[in-house]
Amino acid sequence: MTGALVRGEGITRAFHRRGGLLSRGTSMLALRGVDIAVHRGEAVGVVGESGCGKSTLGRVLLRLLPPTDGRVLFEGEDLDSLPAARLRALRRRMQLVFQDPYGSLDPRRTVGAQIADGMVIHGLARGTEAAGRVAALLRQVGLDPDQAKRLPHEFSGGQRQRIAVARALSTQPDFIVADEPVSALDVSIQAQVVNLLADLRAELGLALMFISHDLHVVRHLCDRVVVMYLGRVMEEGSAAEIFRAPAHPYTRALLAATPSLRHRGATAAPLAGEVPSIARPPSGCVFRTRCIFAQPRCAETVPALEPLPGAGMRRLACLRATELP
Amino acid sequence: MRPSSIRGLAGPGALVLLVALVAVAAPILPLFDPVRQDVANRLAGPSALHWLGQDEYGRDVLSRIIWGARVSLTVAVVAAALAAVVGTLLGVLGGYFRGLVELFTVRVAEIVLCFPPLLLALLVVTLLGPGATTLVFSLAILFAPGFARVAYAETLSARALDYVTAQQALGARTPRILFVTLLPNIAPPLIVQFSLTVASAMVLESGLSFLGLGVVPPSPSWGLMIRGARASMELAPLLLFWPCLALTGTVLVLNLLCDRLRDVLDPRGKAAGRPGFLGRLIALPPAPEPRQAPGLLSVQGLTLAVQSAHGPIEVVRDVGFTLAAGETLAIVGESGSGKTLTGLAVMGLLPAAVTPVAGSILLTGREGRVRDLLRLPEREMRGLRGRELAMIFQDPSSSLNPLLRIGSQLGETLRAHGVRDGVRERVVALLRQVGLPDPERAAEAYPHEVSGGQRQRVMIAAAIANHPRLLIADEPTTALDVTVQAQILALLAELKRAEGGMGMVFVTHNLAVVSDIADRVLVMYAGEVVEEGRVEDVFAVPRHPYTAALIASMPEGDAERLTAIPGTVPQPWAMPAGCRFAPRCEMAIDACRAAAPPLAELAAGRLSRCLRWKEMA
Repeated sequence: MTGALVRGEGITRAFHRRGGLLSRGTSMLALRGVDIAVHRGEAVGVVGESGCGKSTLGRVLLRLLPPTDGRVLFEGEDLDSLPAARLRALRRRMQLVFQDPYGSLDPRRTVGAQIADGMVIHGLARGTEAAGRVAALLRQVGLDPDQAKRLPHEFSGGQRQRIAVARALSTQPDFIVADEPVSALDVSIQAQVVNLLADLRAELGLALMFISHDLHVVRHLCDRVVVMYLGRVMEEGSAAEIFRAPAHPYTRALLAATPSLRHRGATAAPLAGEVPSIARPPSGCVFRTRCIFAQPRCAETVPALEPLPGAGMRRLACLRATELP
Repeated sequence: MRPSSIRGLAGPGALVLLVALVAVAAPILPLFDPVRQDVANRLAGPSALHWLGQDEYGRDVLSRIIWGARVSLTVAVVAAALAAVVGTLLGVLGGYFRGLVELFTVRVAEIVLCFPPLLLALLVVTLLGPGATTLVFSLAILFAPGFARVAYAETLSARALDYVTAQQALGARTPRILFVTLLPNIAPPLIVQFSLTVASAMVLESGLSFLGLGVVPPSPSWGLMIRGARASMELAPLLLFWPCLALTGTVLVLNLLCDRLRDVLDPRGKAAGRPGFLGRLIALPPAPEPRQAPGLLSVQGLTLAVQSAHGPIEVVRDVGFTLAAGETLAIVGESGSGKTLTGLAVMGLLPAAVTPVAGSILLTGREGRVRDLLRLPEREMRGLRGRELAMIFQDPSSSLNPLLRIGSQLGETLRAHGVRDGVRERVVALLRQVGLPDPERAAEAYPHEVSGGQRQRVMIAAAIANHPRLLIADEPTTALDVTVQAQILALLAELKRAEGGMGMVFVTHNLAVVSDIADRVLVMYAGEVVEEGRVEDVFAVPRHPYTAALIASMPEGDAERLTAIPGTVPQPWAMPAGCRFAPRCEMAIDACRAAAPPLAELAAGRLSRCLRWKEMA
């Protein structure tokens, strides 16, 4: 796997919570030694429930948060060792689309001005040239270029998400992290935005990291899927393979828990309990407390992410990978 | 900004403007020289020439009041402006960078707050000598920490917002983030703080001048005038009255402006009260004749309206459905479809801005009595909530009181409906029933000590505590993870079996959840029912293009590309004349745009609001 556009190696990220009067501060590991690579033009889906660290991973890869341990390479350059000015210049090439289209746009500035920000900051275009590019971008995401002078509150949620996509595209990036970009949208609008991202990716050859809690959405957009749980990667493989035959017990449960139009009647809850607090993760395999296949040894050894024998690029972090029914 | 609140700003705004204008225009107004003495007429009362009389040196009081306003206002405004600039800068820097910067900016500013303001001003004036300039500086030092604190708090909450992070992601330099993005967004509370500061600076200025530490005589100033008038208080009490009136009046007007400004700048607006029962009754025409036996719940012709500047806007129009005992009906729709309002109307919990304008909501009570919930006085309604009907909401964390233990909140629910004995045992039994792992301990826990899924279980326990006959669930699993959602859905199905005969209205946007839990489904679009039927029928052969499009847009199929519905839901004030879905519909014909199609009954219990339903298969 050489020549990855973005590569994270052994990324660990801790958050500290200051203690109160009587309690000691706690340190929580949102990410624990995550390896991930996104290649040029590739769409990688990162899936997991709240607290699995998927959003943190996106922000670490964009260097909006520094990793506590491990390193992030962009075209082989270690972002940690870059001088601030070089990093700022590199930001032109990597962008972020947020989940909440209401919070991600400045309510007091016109959408045109916000889309032009990236060009102004990086000296790509100014004045009428920038305005022309803003119009082109608005058209590209399916909005009327005349709307550039409006304020964000004049748009619906789906339209705002398109504006946020246009802003991310304004610097002609190579890599976009989309953090749950459709979760806050209505079903009929979700499909519009997912299709837009798919079109843009094909058109511009973007590398995309698509973060979602919804496996079904990821399947439509991504080449490869990374399944995370409590800060660790549980399973990784091509989207088609993972959907056809999910291997890790957690991936299976996640797929089974998603309600579907295809089967009527109550979905049996496949997992008992809830995701443990990241402040007190289980020893060994972090999933073992909810896993129906767990054995005593799962509490002792942390399973490494290893290739599944005879399954191509599929990788699995499970001690019982070969014995699972 | 809403026009009504801007109108509220006009009154105090005009008054402040008037005061400022008079003060500014003092040199060109036909006034006596404020320092010219006329000892012969000292302490003379009001006359045609001297409207407000003459002071202890025979100077014209009106003239001194107006010239004094000049001094007072200038000192107050300049001091407040200086304090605003310095304080905001300290606060923004401290809040954005945190750490050491915070220590040297905000914390240092806070030390100033520890001194009694008058004492500090006295100190500064004593050190620098009296005079208007000194006064401005000492007032600025006094008021800067206030701005620093407001700016600091606002910056702290704004710096974590997505649009600030977006600027970092774009590669913006820090000054750009601070002054282009952050500052305009934290400005409203600072503007309010500014007008408050001007008012208090005026008071303090007068106080210091009164003590002889402010403006130097014979320059006119309200404080000096009060000081002068005090000596002759018994001979000419009016002399004391005028400057006090000027001071009090100006401060009051400024404070009023402040209040209104806060209303205008606060996007949440003023809190409005709920209209009383009478208010609701007046708006409602008499109930229509029941068309059929109501079953457990029968909603007929329910229309809800929001009052707007352009008259009432119907946000829910002519919605009707029935629910039998033991049945689950799902109301499904996108945001703006009116599904949540319909649920709230049944509970009698509509927001204040929404009023029912037509229809009826008939609920058959435990003892067989049929009541129209839409016309029931609030007192009776309160008696029914919890006992006959109950509701669970999307966000379990905001529905529980964070200060009370879970057990005592549940106990309260039981006691409100007359359970006296064995409350604690009932609470624990309820928590066990909703599947909390350790019910005894959960009863002793505070809401923040349990997870989101468990809080939703507690809310469900509270809802079923008194065995209601009707449960309304408004997106109860939307805020939860999928594996937890599956658990809650299973729990609700289980409870329905246990509480024999309990009917459930399940409001959701998620079609897949509908297929999981409901018997029948009501599809709503833009405030109207567009389709109704048994879940398997509707999902197998939808008879409305909107339902069909919703199903097709679910990311479940194997299709390479998702089917998207073009366009967006129309706004309530800009509804299309004909079918409300026509602008987004692939099947729309001219007849669809001409007139609103009626809700046609295709078969028993199967309804569609589409002219072309027969062509759909």
